[in-house]
Amino acid sequence: MTGTLTVSRDGVGARAFTDLGTGVLGVAILSFLLAVTLLLQWTGPGTEVFGVTVFSVLGTGLLLGGLGLVVEGLVSRAGVVGTTPDHTPGLVTATVAAVAAAAVAGLFLSQTLGWEGLWFVGPAGLPIGVPAGWSPVALLVGSAVGALTATAREDLGATLPFGGLVALGGALIATGAIGVGWQWNLHDVSAVIHGAQAVPFLAVVLSLVLTWAAAKAREGFGAQGRERAAFMFLGLIAFGMLSVLALVVTYITVRGAGRAFQGFAVGLDGIRWPFVTNGTTFGAETPDGVYPSIVGTVWLVIGSVLFAVPLGVGAAVFLTEYADQGRFTAVVEVATNALWSTPSIVFGLFGYALLVPRIGNRNTLLAGMLVLGFMLLPLVIITARESLKAVPDEYRDASAALGVSRWSTIRSVVLPAAMPGVITGIVLGVGRIAGETAPLILVMAGGLNQDSGSLFSPDLLQGGQALPYKLYAIITAGISGSSEFGWATAFVLLLVVLGFYAIGIGSRLYFRRKLNE
Amino acid sequence: MSNTIETVAGQTTTGETAEERQAEWIEYDFAGDPKIAVEDLNVWYGADQALQGIDLEVPEHSVTALIGPSGCGKSTFLRSLNRMNDRIKSARVEGSVTLDGEEIYRDDINLVELRKRVGMVFQSPNPFPKTIRENVAYGPRKHGAIDRGLIARLRGTDDRDAEAALVERSLRQAALWEEVDDRLDDNALGLSGGQQQRLCIARCLAVDPEVILMDEPASALDPIATAKIEDLIQDLAEDYTVVIVTHNMQQAARISDQTAVFLTGGELVEYGETDQIFENPHSQRVEDYITGKFG
Repeated sequence: MTGTLTVSRDGVGARAFTDLGTGVLGVAILSFLLAVTLLLQWTGPGTEVFGVTVFSVLGTGLLLGGLGLVVEGLVSRAGVVGTTPDHTPGLVTATVAAVAAAAVAGLFLSQTLGWEGLWFVGPAGLPIGVPAGWSPVALLVGSAVGALTATAREDLGATLPFGGLVALGGALIATGAIGVGWQWNLHDVSAVIHGAQAVPFLAVVLSLVLTWAAAKAREGFGAQGRERAAFMFLGLIAFGMLSVLALVVTYITVRGAGRAFQGFAVGLDGIRWPFVTNGTTFGAETPDGVYPSIVGTVWLVIGSVLFAVPLGVGAAVFLTEYADQGRFTAVVEVATNALWSTPSIVFGLFGYALLVPRIGNRNTLLAGMLVLGFMLLPLVIITARESLKAVPDEYRDASAALGVSRWSTIRSVVLPAAMPGVITGIVLGVGRIAGETAPLILVMAGGLNQDSGSLFSPDLLQGGQALPYKLYAIITAGISGSSEFGWATAFVLLLVVLGFYAIGIGSRLYFRRKLNE
Repeated sequence: MSNTIETVAGQTTTGETAEERQAEWIEYDFAGDPKIAVEDLNVWYGADQALQGIDLEVPEHSVTALIGPSGCGKSTFLRSLNRMNDRIKSARVEGSVTLDGEEIYRDDINLVELRKRVGMVFQSPNPFPKTIRENVAYGPRKHGAIDRGLIARLRGTDDRDAEAALVERSLRQAALWEEVDDRLDDNALGLSGGQQQRLCIARCLAVDPEVILMDEPASALDPIATAKIEDLIQDLAEDYTVVIVTHNMQQAARISDQTAVFLTGGELVEYGETDQIFENPHSQRVEDYITGKFG
């Protein structure tokens, strides 16, 4: 088709080809969405649509989609619909086909026929010394399929293996061969995979493969087909990621909101929200709450930010604007990065050995703030350095040429320009320290019903509570109702962290607008 | 052609010796004291010598153009006049530069004061990401000439009116006032390239310098914006001493009173009245360069 600008895709045949492609693509996307809802347990495997179980619908869809893809490939190869395939589907496609074929063959031989996986120990009847077992055979099958795919023309190589795979999987699901009652016993680890979980997972993988291949076929293969395929594939993956995020939030909300809002009332005397405003009293008449832990978490974040941000930004300014860029700054950079990836329990131990004996020899909120501040420090330095480096040198030159001193320039031009990046770093760091548990066990945690002061005056030199530690303590305490209490605590922790995020994002927007408008 | 290329490489051609080349150098003579006097200025970047023994005197209230091919050291020379080269770590300067007879390459020189007196406009427009008003008032605010601090504002003693007057005067001088007077509190990055460059000139003027150094101020601009900047430079010469680096020989011929020609290797080959340089250069190499035989 080279030489012509417009690809001739006219005629009844070509239109039917495109329509079939649209249909297969639609089936693939719908299957993906259905499979995701199953995987995230938004719908159960028992759900019925017009009297048919959702698994049957999914399996039939995949089966038809796979067959449709095979038809697309064959029709295109017949050369009657004006597609523009390359002479090879490419190494990536061939590799995917090879891996899929090897997996299918291996699973069939090992699980259905019960072959052993080892070399030289074949099934009964084969002489010792002949390589046998499922792994070499699967390897052979995979290599053969891969080689065939790589040497076939694109319209065959990119459709037949994948259409066959999807149709096979769809048939297994549709006929119930892999269904709700199906089990896969993994003897080595004594685990069982149930059909209810296996089917959605299998369907997600198959529908992704089908989407990728069908998008290629619909656009008539070639560069345009691969472009569309990549777009669809990455789009679905992005959607899947988003739905996982949504699932985490909704799951925690569903499990935790009920308990968290127990006794919630808005009346003439103000808002009553026992879970947030009450302490943990165990068995008292008033409903229990996590007020001390909220206070502890809020003060922990404020304290560590107040401690780490001035130090971190100051260090970043010194390293970027004043220090000679050489071995010293390189060493500091490596050390900062290493510090950021240091496990938090190590920071906890450091605080336990160094800070606790010097601050009243007991677990205190202040020690918790300092330890979390130390943990936050490297991230603030790293992000502040990056954003300072991104400030154009022209600003510094212009300011110097006006006779303005270096420090004055940093304060009024360089730092404001770097501010959005610095705030992004702080926001990321706050997310980490607000959820930190391990070091707090060592340096801060008091008893389960310990107070942490109030939102207006923290008890800096007393032990205290924080939401993640409270969550851990209440779940492991195993008292009655602790599970609901734990979920409600997680929900409140999520709200507190999101609240800090909102503050961070709001201030970043403010600074950005100031720079650009 | 091969001869001239060898000339560019700094080797003697056509039998020319170093002494004869020196003799081509015609001292530019003018009445009165020089605003800036440069004597035997040498600049190195690491081991590379960027300027070789430059002698040059700049008269007050005039436009001096520095022309020459790329990499001939004219920008380096310009940056030596307000010690912006100090900001380049590998740069080393020897020789003498005096401003009104006062040596600027002394250890105890006040760089802030020097750069207030010798302002600079850069090749690409570089306004700060602030409002137009803040850009113009930046220098005076930092130097304390205008106080818009929070304490002064709370006490009601801030210099709001003085600042407004200064901003208007500077923007008028830079021929930008009519275009921006209704949006002084908009971000300067929203201006066009030519407007941004005039804003940078206004920002420089607001500090009330005596000398303005310009490093190819119009090279990133379209012809109309360039014409505006050129008119502006000639107006500025009535009150200020302007030294301008340019790639554009027509521009140098149009706007400057005297022209210095730098050639590759960091030498100043000829310096004189602009008309004389362009119509009747003493040096063969300058004539070759101006007529486009090389460079």
